[in-house]
Amino acid sequence: MSKLVVESLSRVFPGVHGGAPVTALQPTSLSVGDNDFVTILGPSGCGKSTLLRMIAGLDRPTSGTILLDGRKVSGPGPDRGMVFQSYTLFPWLTIAENIAFGLTEKGMAAAETREIVAAYIDKVGLRGFEKHYPKQLSGGMQQRTAIARALANDPAVLLLDEPFGALDNQTRALMQELLLGIWEREKKTVLFVTHDIEEAIFIASRCLVMSARPGRIKADIAIDLPYPRHYTLKTSPEFSDFKARLTEEIRAEAVLAAAH
Amino acid sequence: MRPLEPISQTARLWLGLSFFLLFFAAWALATLGGFVPKIFLADPITMVKDGWLLLTKFGFGLDILITIWRVVGGFVLAVIVAVPLGILMGAYKPVEAFFEPFVSFARYLPASAFVPLLILWAGLGETQKLLVIFIGSVFQIVLMVAVVVGNTRRDLVEAAYTLGSGDRSVVRRVLIPMNAPEIAEILRLVLGWAWTYVIVAELIGSSTGIGHMIIDSQALMATGQIIFGIIVIGVIGLVSDFLFKLVNRRLFPWRLA
Repeated sequence: MSKLVVESLSRVFPGVHGGAPVTALQPTSLSVGDNDFVTILGPSGCGKSTLLRMIAGLDRPTSGTILLDGRKVSGPGPDRGMVFQSYTLFPWLTIAENIAFGLTEKGMAAAETREIVAAYIDKVGLRGFEKHYPKQLSGGMQQRTAIARALANDPAVLLLDEPFGALDNQTRALMQELLLGIWEREKKTVLFVTHDIEEAIFIASRCLVMSARPGRIKADIAIDLPYPRHYTLKTSPEFSDFKARLTEEIRAEAVLAAAH
Repeated sequence: MRPLEPISQTARLWLGLSFFLLFFAAWALATLGGFVPKIFLADPITMVKDGWLLLTKFGFGLDILITIWRVVGGFVLAVIVAVPLGILMGAYKPVEAFFEPFVSFARYLPASAFVPLLILWAGLGETQKLLVIFIGSVFQIVLMVAVVVGNTRRDLVEAAYTLGSGDRSVVRRVLIPMNAPEIAEILRLVLGWAWTYVIVAELIGSSTGIGHMIIDSQALMATGQIIFGIIVIGVIGLVSDFLFKLVNRRLFPWRLA
């Protein structure tokens, strides 16, 4: 069953200072099944973030519709949790208060909130840091908190916009395993935007490759690697096959994007 | 010395103190050494003596309290009006478009030039003094708060929306707590300016306050008293600044984290 259905969604940004309008996303259709982990892979400027932001309700489509569980999406809401590339924890709240932000918004009782927050603190391995402020944490820990904050709200879909883009390689690999582990255990519908090919394969059950601007989906590849996935998978021949294929797909687009 | 190289806390303290000492030494040299006639500038010793006399014999302590009350009273009134309006302007662009041009204009109206008008309207009582401070502070606070709130990081606001916040909740749970330390900093700054307005308000048509004492002393050529009055204002300013910083540090521990 399709959890999320996107129908001929497009986005055209008006021209700046009388310039020509920019088509960020050509009419795109897409359907995401329940509990799919979909990565959206593309060169920079291909409209992948625009697509995600429209699904989140943070950007208005020029045309097309988005249906989540059969209901039309018209603005941002707690049913679509989002993790951003920039660090968006609220600096005046502690780690625990940040994770509780959406629950407080729902009017959840304090005792229940504490329980959920504690559970997510454990899941992202931040026990002992509940009372710290975001500034006191490393980038990786901040993004772990951001993931916990989005998941604690129990959204129907989790949207991630290059969440590990600003992290170093080692931290990024650990974060991928953490997120994958949570998904394998709890099952959740996830849309994950990235420009990193390895990342797009390792964590995904399905990978969408986008073309250079104006963006459209040029390939839709099922990543049928077995679960649970271990980091050693990245050096297996099956993984390499996917990598070779995606590299080929994305390279042509990167060349196009660079020419602009 | 290297550009931007930090110095130790003790070195900072001593350097700061030494300029005060140097300043008083130069003053003492100029006056006690006979380089400046006594009638224009009293020496530090006369100043301290005059000050002591003012405090013990002429009830200057009461003047100080009255002036502080006027500054604080007018300033608090301005804060009550300006902070909510500034937050609304920063958060809602139509509200900003409505008020901003007028407030920008009104900000340049000199508060001191309103003194004669205010005397006409409100008489010579406390209301007039409070109004001078109010007019001098309110527009500045409105504009500065509106700018700070308007520049809130968009991604934090977006994060709140994706966590289920509504429009009013974004104002209450993101815009206000995020900018509270900056707003407190603005208030600290404007309170300093309010001190200059109160003296102007007291120079004309007042029978109490530090400004009134200064004008009275001018008639008597008592430069020692005038300087003492000015220094008292400086010290009060310094103390209130310090208190403001202390309270801010207590209220917003996350800024220092």
